[in-house]
Amino acid sequence: MSDTMIEFRNVTKRYGALLANDHLNLQVRRGELMTLLGPSGCGKTTALRCLTGYVHPDEGQIIIDEKDVTNTPTHQRQLGMVFQNFALFPHMTILENVRFPLMIRSKPKAESVPQAREALQLVRLEGYSDHYPRQLSGGQQQRVGLARALVYRPNVLLLDEPLSNLDAKLREEMRFEIRDLQKRLGITAIYVTHDQEEALVLSDRVAIMNKGRLEQLGAPDEIYEHPRSKFVADFIGLSDFIPARVASIEDNTAHITVGDVTMTAPAVEGLSRDQSVLLFVRPNDIEMASTKPQNILEGVIRQATYLGDRMDYRVRISDAIEARVQTPGIQRHAQGERVRLHLPMERCRLIREGGSSERGDTNSTMHV
Amino acid sequence: MRFLKLYLQPLWNARLLLIYSFLSGFAILILAPFLMISLRSVGKGWFGKLWFPPELTLQWFQTAIDIGNIPEVLKNTAIIAAIAVAISTTIGILSGWAFGRRHLPGKEVLMSLILLPRMIPPITYALGVAKIFYGLDLVNTYLGVGLAHVSLCAPYAILVLSSTFESLDERVLEASSVCGANALKSFFYVILPMILPGILASMIFTFTTSYNEFTLTLMTYGPDTVTMALRTYLAIGDGYVEITSAMSVILVVPSLVILAMIQSGIQPEKLIGGFKGV
Repeated sequence: MSDTMIEFRNVTKRYGALLANDHLNLQVRRGELMTLLGPSGCGKTTALRCLTGYVHPDEGQIIIDEKDVTNTPTHQRQLGMVFQNFALFPHMTILENVRFPLMIRSKPKAESVPQAREALQLVRLEGYSDHYPRQLSGGQQQRVGLARALVYRPNVLLLDEPLSNLDAKLREEMRFEIRDLQKRLGITAIYVTHDQEEALVLSDRVAIMNKGRLEQLGAPDEIYEHPRSKFVADFIGLSDFIPARVASIEDNTAHITVGDVTMTAPAVEGLSRDQSVLLFVRPNDIEMASTKPQNILEGVIRQATYLGDRMDYRVRISDAIEARVQTPGIQRHAQGERVRLHLPMERCRLIREGGSSERGDTNSTMHV
Repeated sequence: MRFLKLYLQPLWNARLLLIYSFLSGFAILILAPFLMISLRSVGKGWFGKLWFPPELTLQWFQTAIDIGNIPEVLKNTAIIAAIAVAISTTIGILSGWAFGRRHLPGKEVLMSLILLPRMIPPITYALGVAKIFYGLDLVNTYLGVGLAHVSLCAPYAILVLSSTFESLDERVLEASSVCGANALKSFFYVILPMILPGILASMIFTFTTSYNEFTLTLMTYGPDTVTMALRTYLAIGDGYVEITSAMSVILVVPSLVILAMIQSGIQPEKLIGGFKGV
């Protein structure tokens, strides 16, 4: 038995001139939960629909459990799927909804009804068998969706933004519920979302997609701490990108200049002297009012915002450079105050400019 | 402002009373003619300025059924309505699917074209239909009168069914096939139950339209295809007001039955996959 449960092999899908999936290669391990994460239009939904068979790829193959299913119709692929808008059958009761996959497979009622009840128990909805979907809240409906997807123990569970129609509090609770169920059943799952926080909390591995391509694949901490491109850094969490120039490289350390200040950062592959790079650092890794001698940028606080548990500052370093800094809420500085920012070397990362794809819109958290 | 409020306050306090008296006044106004005709159909010796008939009887109904050939007329009406419902529902399902599920260029223009027979004055339209149907030998046939009715029924059917199909969620169909249902099973277990209420609603609408239709029937009927609405009209010429009243009361019965059906069981607005915008 191979370790790989799902494989996208060179999957390409075009919609007219638009490349929805551009030679996508991806392997999902048995029993893992992988998130496909990316902004809308990045191709994550198309990838999922190639997997369900609702979309036929122009090129490439889809392998599920060592079988090439590229030309297998949807209803024979033995999948379970949870939809963003729940997609329950409105004319069936909750029990009938959950029993549907079993009924379609011609299971006798004596087996399918207890099995459906068991699945409802799994999502803690055993008391709602005779209700209709419209009588249930959004969170309950989505749990029915989950029960329906799991009832016949498919090999693969697909979740298409299952929580984005729910309110924030419920969303957070359900994350853990889904995670728990998936681990308990040991089912291989692909989770599509545009919510980076969800992806970090839920996944064994995160696949970040951009413009139909796989941008980076890795465990949540790896993605967060070692983003390989500006796109990834920008998409996951808050980021500061400070334009810099490589002055010299020795061993694993690069000396760079920001304006007329020299700083150090861990070197990355393919770096050369005089190259312009982006110095990437998370706003909450920057230390404010530091007395450290190294890696210091000086600036003036242009804006200070109170966020409850933390403070958010916009610090103007030069005419062209502004940094965002977040500190614990107890540490307060006033607007207009002159501060020394310490960028801990081990927290700094250099990203080669133009070396990777960039997001089209450059507004969000970029301060250059 | 304060002055105004002082005077309006009592009115505001009595608003429920005002609303209900307005509504009941409205209801009486609407229902008065119907009440009048109902009374007339069971009244005997009701002349002059009396408020109420001096004697009640059911004899006018008996006479109406005997001389009006009502059973035959009802049979005609039913056959014509059935033809109209069958043809317009078929048209409605096919074009409703195209309107609701497909990306159709020029959708709006097509839709207004379909609604055109409902917009131009019925008599103008009916005269045209008569001219054509005389040429085709369709006058005084069930099919002919039924087809004439289709021109008015089909737009309703298309309107209702296109929004039924439009509200059919693509994702639910996808869910059905991911759950393992092939096209046939998806149709019978998922699609059909979801669109059935819409089809039913469309059939009810087209039936009542055909049943009530007068102008088009007048221009295409013959001795063998007299419908209930037409028979009532013809009775006016016979000059017996009581008998005409009895007929018009009989005429109303099926409509009331349908209304009761809708009110009790099948409430279109509560049905899933129902219709919006009608």
